[in-house]
Amino acid sequence: MKQFWSRRNFLFQSGGGISGLALAYLLNQEGLLGAESEGACNAKAQGYNPYAPKKPHFAPRAKNVISLFMSGGVSHLDTFDPKPALVKYAGQPLSGKGEIVVRQGNPGPLMPSPFEFRKYGQCGMDVSEVFPTLARQVDDIAFLRSVYGSSNDHVQATYELNTGKIQMGLPCVGSWVTYGLGSENQSLPAFVVIYDHRGGPLGGPSNWSSGYMPAAYQATVFRSTGDPIIDLKPPASVSPEQQRDRLDLLAKLNEMDLKQYPGNSELAARISSYELAYRMQGCAPEAVDVSRESEATRKLYGLDDKITEPFGRQCIMARRLVERGVRFVQLYHGGLGQQNRDTWDAHDDVKENHTRHGAEVDLPMAGLLTDLKARGLLDTTLVVWHAEFGRMPISQKGVGRDHNPGTMTMWMAGAGIKGGQIIGASDEFGYKAERQPISIHDLHATMLHMLGIDHTRLTYLHNGRNMRLTDVYGDLIPQIVA
Amino acid sequence: MIPGRIHVVLALSYAALTAAPATAQLVSFATDIRPIFENSCWKCHGGSVQLSKLDLRSRDAALKGGQRGAAIVPGKADESRLYRVVASLEKPAMPLGGKLSADQIATIRRWIDQGAVWDGVPGAGAPNTSASLEEMAISPEARRYWAFQKPVRAPVPPASGDLTNPIDRFLEQARVERGLQRAPRADRITLLRRAYLDLIGLPPTPKETAAYLADESPNAWANLIDKLLASPHYGERWGRHWLDVARYADSNGYEHDFDRPNAWRYRDYVIRAFNQDTPYNTFLAEQIAGDEFDRVTDDSMIATGFLRSYAKVGYREKDNPQFRYEYLDDMIGTIGRGVLGLTVNCARCHNHKFDPISQKDYYKMQASLFGYVETDYPLAPKEVVEAHRQKNAELDAEIAPLQRRIRELEGPYRASLAQEKYKKYPANVQRAIAIPEDKRTPGEALLAGQVIRTTSVSSAEIDRVMTPADLAEKRALGQQIHALEDQRPKPLPLAAVVTDGDYRFTPDGPGDEPAPGKGVKQEAISGSFLFQGPGRYQAPPSYFLIRGDIESRGSLMKPGFIDVITYGNPPTELPPPDGRTSGRRRALAEWLGSPENPLTARVIVNRIWSHHFGQGIVSTLDNFGKMGAQPTHQALLDWLAVEFMSRGWSIKQMQRLIMTSEAYQMASQFDSLADAAKDPEDNYLWRFRLQRLDAESVRDVIMSAAGALDLTMFGPPVFPHLPSEITSSTTENVWRNEDDGPRVWRRSVYVYRKRGLVFPMFEVFDLPDQNSACGRRNVSTVPTQALTLLNDEFVLHQAKLFADRVKEAAPDDTAKQIDLAYRIAVSRPPRAEEAEIAARFLTTHSLADFTHVLFNLNEFLYVR
Repeated sequence: MKQFWSRRNFLFQSGGGISGLALAYLLNQEGLLGAESEGACNAKAQGYNPYAPKKPHFAPRAKNVISLFMSGGVSHLDTFDPKPALVKYAGQPLSGKGEIVVRQGNPGPLMPSPFEFRKYGQCGMDVSEVFPTLARQVDDIAFLRSVYGSSNDHVQATYELNTGKIQMGLPCVGSWVTYGLGSENQSLPAFVVIYDHRGGPLGGPSNWSSGYMPAAYQATVFRSTGDPIIDLKPPASVSPEQQRDRLDLLAKLNEMDLKQYPGNSELAARISSYELAYRMQGCAPEAVDVSRESEATRKLYGLDDKITEPFGRQCIMARRLVERGVRFVQLYHGGLGQQNRDTWDAHDDVKENHTRHGAEVDLPMAGLLTDLKARGLLDTTLVVWHAEFGRMPISQKGVGRDHNPGTMTMWMAGAGIKGGQIIGASDEFGYKAERQPISIHDLHATMLHMLGIDHTRLTYLHNGRNMRLTDVYGDLIPQIVA
Repeated sequence: MIPGRIHVVLALSYAALTAAPATAQLVSFATDIRPIFENSCWKCHGGSVQLSKLDLRSRDAALKGGQRGAAIVPGKADESRLYRVVASLEKPAMPLGGKLSADQIATIRRWIDQGAVWDGVPGAGAPNTSASLEEMAISPEARRYWAFQKPVRAPVPPASGDLTNPIDRFLEQARVERGLQRAPRADRITLLRRAYLDLIGLPPTPKETAAYLADESPNAWANLIDKLLASPHYGERWGRHWLDVARYADSNGYEHDFDRPNAWRYRDYVIRAFNQDTPYNTFLAEQIAGDEFDRVTDDSMIATGFLRSYAKVGYREKDNPQFRYEYLDDMIGTIGRGVLGLTVNCARCHNHKFDPISQKDYYKMQASLFGYVETDYPLAPKEVVEAHRQKNAELDAEIAPLQRRIRELEGPYRASLAQEKYKKYPANVQRAIAIPEDKRTPGEALLAGQVIRTTSVSSAEIDRVMTPADLAEKRALGQQIHALEDQRPKPLPLAAVVTDGDYRFTPDGPGDEPAPGKGVKQEAISGSFLFQGPGRYQAPPSYFLIRGDIESRGSLMKPGFIDVITYGNPPTELPPPDGRTSGRRRALAEWLGSPENPLTARVIVNRIWSHHFGQGIVSTLDNFGKMGAQPTHQALLDWLAVEFMSRGWSIKQMQRLIMTSEAYQMASQFDSLADAAKDPEDNYLWRFRLQRLDAESVRDVIMSAAGALDLTMFGPPVFPHLPSEITSSTTENVWRNEDDGPRVWRRSVYVYRKRGLVFPMFEVFDLPDQNSACGRRNVSTVPTQALTLLNDEFVLHQAKLFADRVKEAAPDDTAKQIDLAYRIAVSRPPRAEEAEIAARFLTTHSLADFTHVLFNLNEFLYVR
């Protein structure tokens, strides 16, 4: 048991005996189409590789995670955390809170939300008109209204949400989970990121990097159209038959060579990795082929509407991936481009910005929850929604809102999360977290806990220290589960 | 399911309720509260320090509170921050790094509810703990740890058999003790390929192979090593190992990931230094204090780029004074792990948990570095630089009045255009602006101010509304300026260096203009960024920082070193005679590179050893402390360290010594299954370790086999082609994408290192994170490596070139083609069985199909 968490595991090695299997596979004339058959794409681990499934510390509630990252910073005040005080004190300076730190320029006066809020569900949850469809599922969702971060810069804040720290180059939560649990499916990557069609989030690939851990634990980026992985398939100039013949020859020559190194598991593993790669060529496109979904399902995610189609596609891919045992899927909404227009970064006009982006994600997210539930996947899938920070209760140039890491609202659903509840509270203006403040370490500790991992015991030895995702911090959010 | 807190809280409330009748029994400050404060609060909120500006020594001070408001509301524990943080109802839970017992928490609650009576003399006897905070005693036992003793030359074990190289005698002794049998020598071709890939990172050509095999003299091997050590490509390979330690990159990292246009000069310096075999201690001194030398050279200045190779936010630096402390921490971490093999930066917030490194050691080292500033250094003779500066100053002086006149002309237009621009703002903003400044409510003032202060009008916008006369005048002025600008001298080549200065006067970088009322610019000091004289340079003050918090200053720090590894009384400042720098970094470099330092030589010989054998004598190359691995052959390590110093810190000489050992020439096969069972990890070197090529070498050997590799050395980095799907994932398109072609087929050490976007082929083959020092890379075997080698357009293109090259040399003769392809790819002719299989394959497939397979062979990808 201790083995699973030890460093030795990184040698990715076991005794020999794999190469024969690899050879058998490669010589098998099933071909690419064969690889797409159900059985081949649900391959079980063979025990030598970094993604071999490992036992959690205790019985998990969640087997998989879908992380929905709204890049740019969503205003909690205009979505899930209504503040009557902003109406009452509209146009007045925000006072009594010490120095008001804004990211751009100077502070403006308090600004009420331009959006209407209504009550939804049996729990009577307040949700604004930005998320009218998702609002119908509030009874399955726990809202955390007092999450705070430590930077009001996009990149550092995004890093913090992903890695627990604002510094660049640390392993992200998806890497930790992959390291801790491995994958159920050896024909697909364990950790997948699908970013917005407009481009990646600020901070780029460092957001899904494995930092000081082996590169094997970083995310594989899936594109939402075309071949999902770069270099997944040979270019058009190489036919499938040509490739198969090359692989056959390669296997033969490598097998002959291996005789000089009997029992060398590293060389055997390399031979076997070609088998895995070959299988992945068939399985990865199949896993994200949304054309295999029924008309009704496609509609559920909004694939029939060009506004909801891009994020709907990401969401449906995420469901297909967790269905196939991919451990951790992270979707980004909002990407590089013009920051105010293409992300949630509503400096200019919160009404215009959040109306636009809300319309892009509202239906697809609701579709995702509905679909997961209908398929029984929601019981074992933890869905986590957040941005990198909230926004200011004061206006920026009249109708915009600046960054605010002091508090944000995020939500979680699935895997036994107790829905219909509000956890924590921000102050009367929504400027700072006030009741039960939740740090990013707390969030990570809770996510790991849901997966059956004790965050204080999942460690990786680096520079003489047992590093943790939560450093020396992290408290569980006690009331989040039923 | 989730244990803990909620139950604890409930239990507490219950305890409090049930305790209510007992309130008659008053909590005593002196007997109940004071001991808790003494043990758990006053260390950080007492006599010497008041973190968060909170002082808990007296009732008044506690009522007044700190940055976060009052700590105590008498009578109302639930509203008292003190109670809330110790009860974990609020963050950060206190005390940091510990928790009071439930009883203690309940006592505090009762005491506050009873009115927080502070009997006894306020603050009396609250200990002044500054000394106990900053000092750390090192136990004699901790001092005795092997790595802190100066290495001594152990007697070489007596000769056994034919072993003459001292390295072999040490190793053999360890093998014999464990009953291990040394593997026989590898064949000559294997050794030739091993030496080539190891020393220059490229395989031998068929011609070089033939020449070596023809040389049957007893010195052939030694001569080969000398030849390879003298190759200019040696520095490209071995310099790259050091660049990992130096966390070298061509961009800043973080959001903007700005280009570092001159970073490559440091990379070239490292390659040159390895090729010249610069003594290692000089190499260190140049990198840490090359600007402080009595006589600086271009290279000694360029070398200081080492210090500033950290990831840098590079934006709004003035608003965020803590960034500088991160950079200093990075330098300390890099020097600590990279040079000393110690995790010194673990002592930033507290004494090191495992090694006897005190927090004070950390801040002494920080003081040694604290004067540093980043600047550009012109690489030209003094006279040229001066003439250049003068010419530019003259032009600036001529241009300034012309620009002033333009601004005068633009003034009225700018004001009226701004008024126009306000109209695009919402009604509330326009209303606020329309109200006269002194009549605005505070809220309106904020609203109006936000827009007025940030509205800008461009020159082009003004041109469109100017009167013809004004426009003509402006254009004429513009032409005069343009003509003057044309006279500017060509920019001088610059190096990105470090020298002493005063960071508080750092000129703004891109996006650095601090917001009003923020940043260190506010400090009431006078001075200059770079030392201007007269007199001697003084470093800005630096302090012991309690818990590493930059607001919590302890004593003023003097420069110094890690106490436990300091022998004698080395100077901590060695300023150059003219006093232009503090000489603190020079003293640090002297201390690091001194034979009195027990770690520097051990750490570097261990790195050299590891790169040759695939594992160090201490396998944790960057950590020789208690949490690192212990040496497998300590006597050998010490012998090597002493030998290294006595040979003038020459890396090449150590390599010659190592590579001429029998150990280096052993075969890598499992010849003895018995040995494999006794020592499966080969810790005692009974065979040579197989080593997969590192990321750069994989790319280089592919191009080399294809005959496509351009061996041009040095210069600005190249940008091999990346598909747009990859470049789109990153901030600001810094990747100056080029087509795949000969221009970018340079050695991988010259490929642009972008922190925000690791070159995918390198990433797949385990390039380490580029943000911190890394001595030993991970080696993984994952399917994406196979996908890259199978499907990447670049690899397929190279396979085609490889085939073309072979065809040209041996047209229409399949057997010859197979033979040549093998000799190029793996330095040997094919075995009969291989040739037969290949020939059969080629009856139905193209030669490029075959050469592509060769790129994927295990034999191609491993040093063996």
